[in-house]
Amino acid sequence: MIEAKDTGVLAGFPPRVRRVREPVVALWVFAILALLPLMSSGYVIYILPQYMLFGVLAMSLALLWGFCGMLSFGQAGFFALGAYIMGLCLQHAGTLGVNAAYLALLASAMAGAVIAGAVGYFLFSAGVRDSYFVIVTLALSIIAEQLAVGQSQVTGGWNGMFIPRMQLSFWDWRLPLDSDASIYYLIVVFVAVTYSFLRWITRAKFGKVLAGIRENEDRILSLGFKVHLYKTATFAISAGLACAAGALYGTHAAFVAPSLAGVLFSTEVVVWVAIAGRNSLLGALLGGIVVSSISNALSAITPQYWQLVLGVLFVVVVAFFRGGIAGAVHRFSARRRG
Amino acid sequence: MSAALSVVVDATLITLVLALAAFGLAIIFGLVGVINMGHGAMLTLGAYLMWAATRMDVPFVLAALISALGVGLVGLLLEHVVIRHFYGEPLETLLLTWGFFLITTEIIKIVFGTDLREVVNPLPGSFDLGTIRFPAYRSLVALFAIVLMVAAALVFYKTRIGIRIRALMQNSEVASLLGLNIQLTYKIVFVSGSFMAGLAGALISPMLSVDPYIGNIFLVRSFFAVTVGGVGQILGGTLAGSFLVGGMETVFALVSSQVVAQTIVFAFAIVILRFRPQGVVTSR
Repeated sequence: MIEAKDTGVLAGFPPRVRRVREPVVALWVFAILALLPLMSSGYVIYILPQYMLFGVLAMSLALLWGFCGMLSFGQAGFFALGAYIMGLCLQHAGTLGVNAAYLALLASAMAGAVIAGAVGYFLFSAGVRDSYFVIVTLALSIIAEQLAVGQSQVTGGWNGMFIPRMQLSFWDWRLPLDSDASIYYLIVVFVAVTYSFLRWITRAKFGKVLAGIRENEDRILSLGFKVHLYKTATFAISAGLACAAGALYGTHAAFVAPSLAGVLFSTEVVVWVAIAGRNSLLGALLGGIVVSSISNALSAITPQYWQLVLGVLFVVVVAFFRGGIAGAVHRFSARRRG
Repeated sequence: MSAALSVVVDATLITLVLALAAFGLAIIFGLVGVINMGHGAMLTLGAYLMWAATRMDVPFVLAALISALGVGLVGLLLEHVVIRHFYGEPLETLLLTWGFFLITTEIIKIVFGTDLREVVNPLPGSFDLGTIRFPAYRSLVALFAIVLMVAAALVFYKTRIGIRIRALMQNSEVASLLGLNIQLTYKIVFVSGSFMAGLAGALISPMLSVDPYIGNIFLVRSFFAVTVGGVGQILGGTLAGSFLVGGMETVFALVSSQVVAQTIVFAFAIVILRFRPQGVVTSR
C-alpha cells in the first residue's frame, strides 16, 4: 500500500500517509505567511501577494489536471479576464452604487465559471477529451489575448489597463487597502479559503469521482456517473477561481496587459504545477509561489538561461517524476516510515 | 469581378502556405499519434537556420535544404532521446514536446538573439495574369506545397515504406508480429515530419519577419487545420482543413479585423471538433 508507485491508481486518492501530513504542513505555511508582515516589510510584502495569487492559479490547474486528468493550456486567459473585469468595475466605481471590488470579484468568478461551464458542457457532452481539450484551451487562451489586444477601446490594447486599488467596505465603514500589509492580509485570507475549499471538494465524494474519471473514465461512465457534468463542474470551478484570483491580482498589481492572457503565461502555469506536483494542492500552491518568485528574481539577471533550466526541469519531471516534487517528498516520507 | 478573383487567389495562396506549415504536424500527429507541440519551435528553427545560411551566401534552395535537414536532425535527437519511450501516451508526449518547444525557443534566443531578422526574398515583386496580380515568391511556395504533398502521397501509397506506415497505423501489433520494425518506422515518420516542419519554416521565412515566436502563429492554426481536416488524412485532410481555416480567415478579415476573423475561425474549429471529431475528410 505504502510502497505503491506514484504513477499508479493510488496516486490520486490521497494516500493515508499524506492524510495526516498535508493539513499540518498547510497550517504551517499559512501561519508563516500570516506572520511574515510582522517580521518583514518592503518589497517582499509588496510582491508576495502576487505570487500567492499565481499559487491560486496553479491550484486551479492542479484541480483540473491532477485531480481530474484534464490539462488546460488556457488558465491564464481566465486569470486575465478577472483582472480586466476588476479594472472595468473599479474604473466605473462611482456609478455602480455598491462596492465595485465586491461586484468585480463576484462578476469575475461568475464570468469564469459561466464561460468555462458553457465551453466545457459543449465539449464534454460530446466526449471531447484529453489532447483535444488541451488544444481547445490553447485556442481559448489565444482568443483571450487577441480580444484583449483588439478591443482596445475597452481594454487599452497593447498599452494595457491601469487599475485602481480596491477598498473594503462594510455598510458605512470603509477600509482602504493602500498599504502593502493590508492588502497582503486580504490576499492571504483569500488564498487560505481557496485552499480549504479545494481540499474539501477534492476529498469529498465529488473528488473521488474525479479521481475515478482520471484513472478510468470509461469505467466511471459505465458505473452510471454523469461524467460530462462532473468535468463541466470541475472546469467551471477551476476557471471561476482563476478568474477571481486574477481580479485580485489586477487590483494589486494595478495594471493588466494582454500578455497576462497569453499562451506563454498559461503554459508557465503548467510548468509550475508539473514541477511542484500535479496531484497535490499544497504542492501546486507552493510551486506557484516559489517558482514564480525565482523566475522573477532570475529574470532580472539571466532570463534566458533560467527559462532554459526551467524547460529542461519540466521535461525531466514529465519524463521521470510524474508526481513532481510533492510526489517525491511524499514517496520519501512514506519510505522512511517503512 | 477582379476584386473577387483576387480574394480567391489570396485565399488559395494562404491555404497552401498554411497547408505547407501544417504538413509536418499532420504527418507526426496523423501517423504516429504524437501531438507535436514543438512544431512551432521547429518552424522557427527552420526560419532561423535559413536566415543564417542565406547570410553566409548559401544559394537559396540549398539553404532551405540545409535548414530542413538541420531541423530533421533535431527531430531525430528529440525522438531518440525522449519521444520513443512515450509512444501511445498522447498527453505525455504533448507535454514533452511542449518542453522541447520551451528549450528550443530559449536556445534560439541565446544563439540568435531576440531582434527581428529578415530573410531576403529571392523572388521579389509580382506578376500579372490577366487582371489578377500574383505575388511571385508566395505563388512559387504555394506551387511547391502542392508538389510536396503529391510527392508525399505517392510515397505513402506507392512505396514499401508507405505500406509499412499504413500497416502501422492500421494495427501496430499485427504489423510488428509480421516482422515490421516498429521503432524504426516511427522514427522515420517523426523525422520526416520534423524535416517538413523545418522546410516549411525555411520557405515561409522570407514572407515575414523572423522572431523567436514566429512558429507559434502557425502552431494553433496548424492544429486546427489538421483536426478540422481529419487526423490521419494527410493529403486531403490537411488541404481541406487549411482551406477552411486559412480561407475563412481571409474572407472574414475582409469584412472585419484580423483579430475578429481569427476568433471566429477558432470558434468555428472548436465547433467542428465537437460535432465532427473525425474531421471533415474521412476515408471511404
